[in-house]
Amino acid sequence: MVKVFRLLLVVGLMLSGIATAAQEEVTITARCQANIAGGEGWRCDNFAAVEEQVEQELGINLTLNIIQDSKGWADYKTEFVLAAEAGEAPDIILSGHEDIGAWAAAGLIIPLDDLIAQHEEFADVVPNLWVSQTYDGKIWGIPQDAEARPIFYSKLLLSDLGWSDEEIASLPERVRTGEFTFEDMLATAEQAVAEGVVEPGKGYYHRWGNGFDWLPYYLGNGGEIMTEDGQLVFDRDAALAAYELIGSFVKRGVTPETMIGTESSAIYAEFAPAENVLFYQGGTWQWADWARNYVADLGGNDFLLENVGLMLFPAMNDGVPLSLTHPLSYMISSGSEHPDVAMALLAAVTTPEANNRHAIDSFHLGILTTQVESEAYAANPVLSGAHYMLDYTRFAPNTPFYSAWSNAYWAGIQAAHTGTPAEEAVELAVTQLQNELGDQIVIR
Amino acid sequence: MNMNTSARARTAPTRPNLTAYAFLAPVAILVVLFFIIPALLVIYISMTDLATANFTSDVGQMTFIGLKNYETLFSDPYARKIFFNTVFYVLVTLSLFNVGGALVVALLTAHINRRAGFFFRALWLLPRLMTSTVYILMWERMVADPPYGILNQLFGVAGYGTVAFNTNHIWTFVILVNGIIGISFGMIIFTSAIESISKDIMNASLVDGSTAMQRIRYVILPLMRWPLLFVLSYQTLSLLTSYEEILLFTNGGPGVYQTEVWALTAFHRALSNYFGNAQWGYGSAFAVVLVIVGIVLAILYLRIFRFRELVSEPKIENL
Repeated sequence: MVKVFRLLLVVGLMLSGIATAAQEEVTITARCQANIAGGEGWRCDNFAAVEEQVEQELGINLTLNIIQDSKGWADYKTEFVLAAEAGEAPDIILSGHEDIGAWAAAGLIIPLDDLIAQHEEFADVVPNLWVSQTYDGKIWGIPQDAEARPIFYSKLLLSDLGWSDEEIASLPERVRTGEFTFEDMLATAEQAVAEGVVEPGKGYYHRWGNGFDWLPYYLGNGGEIMTEDGQLVFDRDAALAAYELIGSFVKRGVTPETMIGTESSAIYAEFAPAENVLFYQGGTWQWADWARNYVADLGGNDFLLENVGLMLFPAMNDGVPLSLTHPLSYMISSGSEHPDVAMALLAAVTTPEANNRHAIDSFHLGILTTQVESEAYAANPVLSGAHYMLDYTRFAPNTPFYSAWSNAYWAGIQAAHTGTPAEEAVELAVTQLQNELGDQIVIR
Repeated sequence: MNMNTSARARTAPTRPNLTAYAFLAPVAILVVLFFIIPALLVIYISMTDLATANFTSDVGQMTFIGLKNYETLFSDPYARKIFFNTVFYVLVTLSLFNVGGALVVALLTAHINRRAGFFFRALWLLPRLMTSTVYILMWERMVADPPYGILNQLFGVAGYGTVAFNTNHIWTFVILVNGIIGISFGMIIFTSAIESISKDIMNASLVDGSTAMQRIRYVILPLMRWPLLFVLSYQTLSLLTSYEEILLFTNGGPGVYQTEVWALTAFHRALSNYFGNAQWGYGSAFAVVLVIVGIVLAILYLRIFRFRELVSEPKIENL
C-alpha cells in the first residue's frame, strides 16, 4: 500500500511538473515615469503586487521587467518613440494622455476597446476620464491616475485679513457655486497686499513655467481647443481675455514680476508654511511633497489640513468654475507580443485596493467610482474632499498638433506676463500657429 | 641617362600622393561615415514632414515636402530673436572668454613664475574637467532664488536685498557658465604657442629695450596668427553648435525664448518636446541652417587670416 502511495505521489509530482513546464513563459516589460520619493512608485510597482494573481488567472509563468525612474517627460517620450522604431518598446508604457494622439497616429500603440470589454474592472473607471483616453473614436489608454489642479489658499492669512472661520470654511463651496469668482480672488489678494497681510507680489502665485496649468485661463474665458469633430481651433477673444488677465497679475501687485522662471522648490518653501502667500495655483500631488519635505517639522499633513485649503479655479468670464486634470495613461505598445497579458495586468491594477496605494501615497485623485467609497480613500480628507473636482475637470485634447498649439499659447503668455499688450500677445500666438499649423488650425 | 631622369620625374609625384592617400583613407572613411552621410541624411530629413506622429527610420517612407520647413522657419516669429540670441551669445562668449580671456590668461601666466603659471592654468582647467551636470548644478545653487541661492544668502548676510539672478540677469550667467569652461582650450593652445617662440627673438626684443606690452604687441601676437585662427574658428563653430550647458541651466528660458540659441531650438524641435510629437523634419531644418552658417564662417576666417600664406612653405625654402 505504501509502495502504491509512493508511486502515485511520484507520478503526481511528475505530472504537476509536466503541467508546470507546459505553462507558457511570458515576459512583460512595463515602463513608468515616477517620482518615487514623492510616493509615485506604485505606478509600476503595482504590477509586481498583482503578478501572482495574473499568473494564476491566465495559467502562465510571468516574468515582469519594471523600469521606473523620474526622467524628464520630453526625454522619456523620445525614448519610447525611438525604442518602438527599434522594435524594443516596452509592452506597457505609462505617459500623459496627450501622447495618445501622436502615438496612435504613428501606430506605436494599439486600440484597447476589444480588450477592455473582456475585463469588468474597467466599468468602475470614472466615466469622464475615458474622454481623455479617446482618439479617433477609439480608446487607446487606461487611466492610471488623475489629479485636481486647484487653487490653494492660506487659511491663516485669510484669517489675518479678517475672514471668519465660517467664511473660510465655506470658500470652496462658494467657488463651486460661482458666488466667489476669479475677480473676487484677485481683489482679495489685492486687499491682502494693501493691508500688509502679505508682502507686495505675494497675493497670488501661478505656475512658474510651461505646462497644462495655463489652460484654465483660456478655457475659463470661453476658449475651445478642439471641436467635437476634431478641428483644432484658437479663439482670439478667449486668448485676449486670458492674456489680459495674466498680464494684470503683476500690474495689480499680487504676483511678482519674476514668477515665470522661479524655481518650484522656492515657491513651495514660501507657500507651504501658509504665512507668506495667500493663493497659489498648484496640483493635489504637491500636498504630499509639502507634507514630507517642506512643513514636516511643523506637523506635516496635520499642519496643512489645519492651515491650507483648496478650491476649484473660480469662475472667469464664462461663469463656470473649473479644474484641470492631466490623467496619466497606461498604453500597450503595438510591438507587444502579449497584449492580452498586458491588459490582464492593467485590469488587475485598476482596482480600488491597488489604485489607493498610489493615490494615497502620492496624493493623486482616484480614478474609480468605488474608490471614493473605500475606507482608505474616504479617510484621507484632502483626496476625498477634492474628488468632486473631477466633475468640473477639463482635459487637454488628444491630437498630434497639441504641442504646436500649446507652444504658441505659452509664448503669448510669456509675452503678456512681461508687459507686452494682450492684443500683441494674441497676434504673436496667432502668427506662430498659422505658420506652423497652416490649414490644421482655425483661428476664430 | 636623360631618359631615365625624365621618366622618374614623371612618375615620382604619384608615389607620395598614393602614400598620402593611404594614410588619409582611414580618417576619410570615418568622415564620410560619420559626417558626410549623416549630414546628407539631415538635409534630406529637413525636407520631409517627419514627426512623432508619422515617425519612421525608413528614409523611403518619409514624406518629401521640399523647402516647406525652411519657409516655416524663416517666417517663424521667434526665429529672428533666436538668431540674434545666438549671435550675441557667440560673440560675447568668444571675445570675453574663449579667445580674449584665454589669450589674457596665457599671456599673464607665461610672464610670471613658471610654477605659479602652471598652478593658475591648472585652476582654469578644473571647470573643463568637471561633468556638465555637476558643473551646472553648482551654478544653479549659486544663483537660485531665495532661500536657496548661495549668492542671495551672501547678499542677505551683507545686508542687501535679494536679487532675481535667475530671471533678471540670466544672460550674464549663461555667458559666465559657458565662458569659464571655454577658456581652458584657448589657454592651452596659446600658452604652448608663446612657449615655443624662439628665445632668440625674445632676447633680441629685450636687448632692443622693449617693454612687456611692446613684446606682446610686436613679437608675440604676430607670431600667433596660426593658433589664433585655429582657436577663433574652432571655438566659433563649437559655440554655435553647443547647447548642452544652456539646456541644463535655463533650457532656453525663463522668458520668451530669452536664452534660446539656434542649436538648442534644433534639439527642442527634433528631439525634446514637453508635450510630445517632436518635429524631426522641422528641427533638422534648423540644424542645416547652422551647418551652412558654420561653413560660411569657416571660409571667412580662412580668408581673413590668409590661410594659404600660413600653410605655404617658408620663403627661405624657396631661395
